[in-house]
Formats: sequence, C-alpha cells, structure tokens
Amino acid sequence: MATRIQVAQVGDVPDGEAIVVSKAVTGTVDDIALFHDAGEYFALDNTCSHELASLADGWIERGVVECPVHTGRFCLRDGKVLSAPATENVAAHVVEVEGDSILIVPNVERLALS
Amino acid sequence: MTGVPQSVVIVGGGLAGYTLADALRRHEFTGRITVIEQEPALYDRPPLTKAAFVSDATLAELEFSTPQQLRAQRVDVMCGRAVVSLDKGVLLDDGTVVRGDAVVLATGGRPRMLPFRGNDAPIVHMLRTFSDAQRIKTAARPGGRILVVGAGLIGAELTSSLRALGVHVTLIDPVEVPLVPAAGESVARRLHEMHGEHGVDVRVGSILEVAERDGEYTALLDDGSYVSVDAVVVGAGIVPNTELAESAGLTVDGGVVVDERHSAGDGFYAIGDVARVLGSDGVLRRREEHWEAAQHDAEELAAVLVGKEPATRSAPWWWSDRYQVHVEGVGRMTGSGVTILRSPHVAFHLDDGLLVGAVSIDDSQTVRAARRIIDARIPVDAADLADPSVSLRDLLRSSRALAGS
Repeated sequence: MATRIQVAQVGDVPDGEAIVVSKAVTGTVDDIALFHDAGEYFALDNTCSHELASLADGWIERGVVECPVHTGRFCLRDGKVLSAPATENVAAHVVEVEGDSILIVPNVERLALS
Repeated sequence: MTGVPQSVVIVGGGLAGYTLADALRRHEFTGRITVIEQEPALYDRPPLTKAAFVSDATLAELEFSTPQQLRAQRVDVMCGRAVVSLDKGVLLDDGTVVRGDAVVLATGGRPRMLPFRGNDAPIVHMLRTFSDAQRIKTAARPGGRILVVGAGLIGAELTSSLRALGVHVTLIDPVEVPLVPAAGESVARRLHEMHGEHGVDVRVGSILEVAERDGEYTALLDDGSYVSVDAVVVGAGIVPNTELAESAGLTVDGGVVVDERHSAGDGFYAIGDVARVLGSDGVLRRREEHWEAAQHDAEELAAVLVGKEPATRSAPWWWSDRYQVHVEGVGRMTGSGVTILRSPHVAFHLDDGLLVGAVSIDDSQTVRAARRIIDARIPVDAADLADPSVSLRDLLRSSRALAGS
C-alpha cells in the first residue's frame, strides 16, 4: 500500500496558491504541486506536460490550473488536459486532510524506482 | 443555412482548424467532420522558433493530437492535400470532392517576402512550417553566420534559438525598437536590448541585396555595409491565404471578411489568421494573428455551429519565449490612456481608470490577473499598478469578494 506523506499544514498554502513538494520527499519521479483552490486541496505532478514549466506557478481558479508559460490548462482533480498547447494529461495524486495536516498519497504509477 | 449542420469541412488544420474539430466534438456535435491540411500533420507552430528548433523536435512531438485520438473522435483528416476550388463542394488537388453543410476556411497565412534583390537565392528562407524550420536548422551550425531580417516575434525568437546553437547572428529591423505596439516602449526596449547582451550584431535598417560570388553569399544592407552570410531568414509578417475565398466570390479585404459569428455568408465561415471581422458597428477590425486568437475563433465558431451562445471574448493575449525568459502581454499598450511602469519588466496601460493592457517579462501571474481585471472592467488605481508590492491577484480577489458580498 502506498504511503501517506505529510507535506503541509492547513494554512500553509493560501487559497489560489500552490507549493512545490520535492520528489525527494514524495519519492516520485516528478516534484508534486499541492494546490489550494477555494478550500480544497489537490496534487498534480508539477511539470507541465507541454514544455518545461512549474504548474505550481500557474493560475489556479475554479478547479483548473493554467500553465504559467503557454496557458495549457489542467483539471486539478484528475490532471486531465483541458486545452492546447498541452496534449497530455499530468498525473494526479490523492490528497487527504486530517485535522491540520495535509497528506499526499503518491500515485503508485509515479513512484521512482529505488 | 438554418439549424445545426450535418457535416463540417474545415480547410486548414493549424490551430484554428484543429481546435474547431475538437471543440465541435466537445459540444457533442455528431455530424461528419473533415479537416483538409496541406502539411503532413496537424501541428502547433509556435515551438518552431523556440524549443523545437533548438532540440530538433520531431513533427510528431508538435502534433495537436495523435492520429489514433483523431480517429476515436471521428475526425476525418486528409493531410498532404490542397484545396483547389470551392465552387461545387470542396475540390481537392487529387480530384476528390468533399461536401459539407458548413465550409470553414482556416487557411492561415504565408510568410511575407521582402522585395530585395536576390531574395530567391537558395540561402534565403522564411519560417512558417516544420520543413521551413528544418531547412534553416541545416544552416544553423555552430560558428555559422545567419542574417535575420525583422526583429518581431518570429525574428527575435529565432535569433535567440540560433544564439543557443552557437550561430553568429546579425539581426536587422527598420524600427529601432520593435514590438512597441504590443509590449509598450519600456518593456519592448528591454527585450530588444537582450539581443546585444547575447552577442547578436543588432542593426537598424533594411536589406537591399543578397549576392553570390564563388559559392559565398553576401548581404548588402541599406547603410552600405556588407555581411557575409550562410543563410538569411526573413521574418516580416504574413500574407493571409485568401485566394480560395476570392475565387469562391466571398468578400476579401486584407483577409476573409466575416461577421462577429465568423460567417462569410453562403455556408462559409473563416477563422484564425485568415479571417477579418467586420463588426456590427461597421468597423473592419485588424486581423488578429496571435495563437490564442485562432483558438478563441474556433471555440466561438464551434458554439455557433451547434446553436449555442459563444463565451464572451477575453482581451487578446500573446506570448514570446527567448533567452530563457517568458514574455506575455494582454490587451493594448498603445492608444488612449497612460502607460504605467511597475518595474523594468512589468508595465500596464490604463485608460480612464480602467486597465486596458499589461505586459511582463517573467511575471505571468501579473498578466493573468490583469487579464481578468480587464475582462471584468474592475477599476484600478494608478498608484497600485505602479507599486510592485501590490499584488494584482489580491486586487482581483478583493474586488470579486466585494462583488460577491
């Protein structure tokens, strides 16, 4: 079973913003962006599937992150690509909030081989 | 034509044509969709001057969608085929006739060649297609010498990519600081300065001639100087591909003239670079040549064709990538109003208390916030815009919170 990793406290990520959780912490092949959108938290692979860009620096609104470089848009819930120029989805990870703790359950398909 | 068409034929499979096909299916349009494209694939062009040029990306890497996905979407794609007439159905160069209740011209444009002597020499290139980029790449050897004519988006981005490959570049433009209408004076100047900082020989002027002697090429510039070159690349804007529309008797005036719902009449539509909107106010607008404008045209037309109301158009947005910086802008930085400089990298245009334009180097969040402020017509203070410690996103959010309360 995948491990749950505590990555932040409630309040660490303001609404409409995101933080980058290093892959060294999550054990994944890519860093993970932890997004806060209107009281909900979401986690996606941080690297845009189009060209090199950090989705954590994107514009976060109504369940969507818009890439900070070329405006490719991704669903925060499942990482599905919503508009060009991106053509591929990004991987989504499970986020759980327990008390004040925000935990990520890394997507098993994105675990780095140790 | 009344009601939803049973079949749509899209002439041109660049961003506008592809997006229309995709958007029609997203709207659950069930009729036949055919896309006819002269190029070997439906692909994205902006990377051709940037990452794809430097990295030798394959055509497949630039495709909007895979052939499998297009089949799954039931989009019939005919690549490598040109349309020769629209008189009785859409006639292709191999004699095939494709019929559609709606025929959409998304034929884009072709690069504009400048009228200098020797512009037909084999070392003179323009950049629009994947194969254009490949030909230029062949000349882009480390230590090679390339003259780039025109320092707009294409010329500036290509120059940056050529420098990344170790090519000696001379960049010439008749304007001392290009891109001022899009980026405003200050940011445009900062962007243009980057060329010199990256070892580009920057000139103000124009090219008069390319001449060959003993297999060596030389370009003559209008200040009388000569530049030895292995290649010349002209980036001087585009000419809209309106010939088909003209031969079909549609109205053409610096583009295929369409109404605000992209109709050119008689079941014909035009979107993207080739289209020019005649507003309901009777004003013929400029063609919008930016990437996102083509995407928005297609999204709007898809809604129109399935009988829905299109979303309200957002302020026009563009971007450029060069020398490891990301530039983007929204709205207008010229015309009535005042320009407000927030930093050497961020500027706004304010007209009568309303934000009408923003541009940034490596600060896309500010432009994304500005865009939403422009679209919602939220009043802003010049002092807030000028103060880098005031976040535009916070201004937007507090205004939205007030509106919602």
